[in-house]
Amino acid sequence: MSRSPLRRSLATPVLLGLILVAFALVAWAVGSKPFNQTIIDIFLKVIFAVGLWVFIGNSGVISFGHIAFACLGGYVAAWTTIKPMMKGISMPGLPDWLMQTEIPYWAAAAVGAGWAAVWALIFGAVLMRLSGIAASIATFAMLAMVNSIYSNWDSVTAATSSVVGIPIVRSVWPYLIAAILAVVLGWAYGISRHGLALRAARDEPTAAAASGVNIPRMRLIAFVVSGAIMGMGGALYAHSIGIVTPDTFYLGLTFITLSMLVVGGMGSLSGAVLGVLFLSSLIQGLRWLEAGVQVGTSTFALPGGVQEIALGAVMILILMFRPAGIMGNRELTLPRAGSDTPGRSGPTN
Amino acid sequence: MSELSADKVSVAFAGLKALSGVDLTVASGQIVGLIGPNGAGKTTLVNVLTGFQAATEGSVRLDGQGLSGLRPHEVRRRGIARTFQGGRLFRDLPVIDNLEVTGVGLGQSRKAAIAEAEAMLDWVGIAPLANRIAGTLPYTDERRVAIGRALMGRPAFLLLDEPAAGMSAQEAAELSALIRRIAEELGCGVLLIEHNVGLVLGLCDHIVVLDSGAVIETGPPAAIRDSERVRHAYMGTAAETDLPVLEVEA
Ligand SMILES: Nc1ncnc2c1ncn2[C@@H]1O[C@H](COP(=O)(O)OP(=O)(O)OP(=O)(O)O)[C@@H](O)[C@H]1O
Ligand SMILES: [Mg+2]
Repeated sequence: MSRSPLRRSLATPVLLGLILVAFALVAWAVGSKPFNQTIIDIFLKVIFAVGLWVFIGNSGVISFGHIAFACLGGYVAAWTTIKPMMKGISMPGLPDWLMQTEIPYWAAAAVGAGWAAVWALIFGAVLMRLSGIAASIATFAMLAMVNSIYSNWDSVTAATSSVVGIPIVRSVWPYLIAAILAVVLGWAYGISRHGLALRAARDEPTAAAASGVNIPRMRLIAFVVSGAIMGMGGALYAHSIGIVTPDTFYLGLTFITLSMLVVGGMGSLSGAVLGVLFLSSLIQGLRWLEAGVQVGTSTFALPGGVQEIALGAVMILILMFRPAGIMGNRELTLPRAGSDTPGRSGPTN
Repeated sequence: MSELSADKVSVAFAGLKALSGVDLTVASGQIVGLIGPNGAGKTTLVNVLTGFQAATEGSVRLDGQGLSGLRPHEVRRRGIARTFQGGRLFRDLPVIDNLEVTGVGLGQSRKAAIAEAEAMLDWVGIAPLANRIAGTLPYTDERRVAIGRALMGRPAFLLLDEPAAGMSAQEAAELSALIRRIAEELGCGVLLIEHNVGLVLGLCDHIVVLDSGAVIETGPPAAIRDSERVRHAYMGTAAETDLPVLEVEA
């Protein structure tokens, strides 16, 4: 058979991975601390956007709640990596075994992913029976619930005060590896039979059910996979700044990550990744302009606040002219020789 | 040998009685026609048989076992497949993926599903369409894809909701031959809903006529052709007064 869609789609994660590597190399070459931190932040956003895409892109159900899983992961990092003595002060209610636990950041990221996946399974078992706007509102309620619990259960979360002392990881490489891992996971999910069945159910639910697809179950699988990716991202986010509060993982992060997904195009994995790269670069560029650029002898600076306004305007313009996002439903692939098929449907085509 | 039956099925939609006490049986290898004017309740009966609509009264049985309460995907996994009035293909997916969805929906790996989908496209006679995006296909090809998608996993029963709508006589004849092969070569029990009465008369072993949710006549094609009651039911709908004139060769 001439047709091997699975192998052909391998180009997508490879190309996306190479782009991410290029970003890391630039950070390494520039060698400035703030720039390094900017690139780390981009990699974290890639992880979040890919996590969102796994569920939203494939199911068509908008979730406002996924940052809750990042919160779960972030606090796992706090619980498992802060020095026991410091934990005793800020979070005295932790059980003794957890108080004594001190694991490396990468292990915390793995545990954070697992912990978030468990909760995605629990929440998802209820939520995945809902559809459309009801499901979206319910995911938002989940975010509010998690935020509220973490803001009030002070003996294990220090409530709304900052939990400090999370070992900071300043090298870009671990974040690069995690971002590539997220892309590969997202791709593998997308080409799996579960991904295919879920996209079919997204486009034509009645026909999918008549084809034997158990729609709530397919959604649940995507929800758990995406929850795990968000949990990993949340833990690494905590390690990138060394400090967490419940509001670190709330509306602000929800809004920016969803915007990146929508601008990039939630119909494709490439859209998720490129949306992050595009909007992050734009934000960074505007920040530099606000801070002031030396032109000859005078300094040119945008007035404060222009960054938010310009960002909003650019997003609106893009969505006006490309409602399906920058990538539409297309994936980044190598130009195909001798094929007349316009690949338009998710990562397998 | 398998048997799918509706047993005194009634469905009421907020006061409107879409079906009242309908009995119908399809056996393996048999082609049963279900005809009746617009709004007679034909699609509603298919929805009940496939788990999309709960019966208000009565039951659906597969080899004597009740199917009530099963969700559509569960009904499909028991070997009862259907198509829809108007196709409902996965429009953005290539044809082969449309078939593949049923394979994976039934629990196959993608690889196994692709292999079966390729064989099925061949069997239905649309192998050259494999990589076309489903949403770009003409009408008649869409119907064949829908049938191929339904046949994945070799269902014991296939319920076709107006597969010939909008087809020319030539295309209808080709479809007719395909349906006959489905019954004869695959041993599938077929329930055929069709407004093209000529096609139904030429193809079916047994015909059930619905009007306003009730069975007004059942029997072999010859008996249906000569029935006064059937002729009368069709008089009401101007578009369908061409009853049995259109003959389709077997
Ligand atoms: N979900 C529903 N809610 C309310 N009424 C419905 C619903 N589905 C069908 N009906 C009504 O039930 C009756 C039977 O409809 P049905 O679609 O089964 O007819 P049909 O025989 O398939 O007609 P057609 O030949 O036009 O496809 C119609 O009066 C229709 O308006
Ligand atoms: Mg109908």
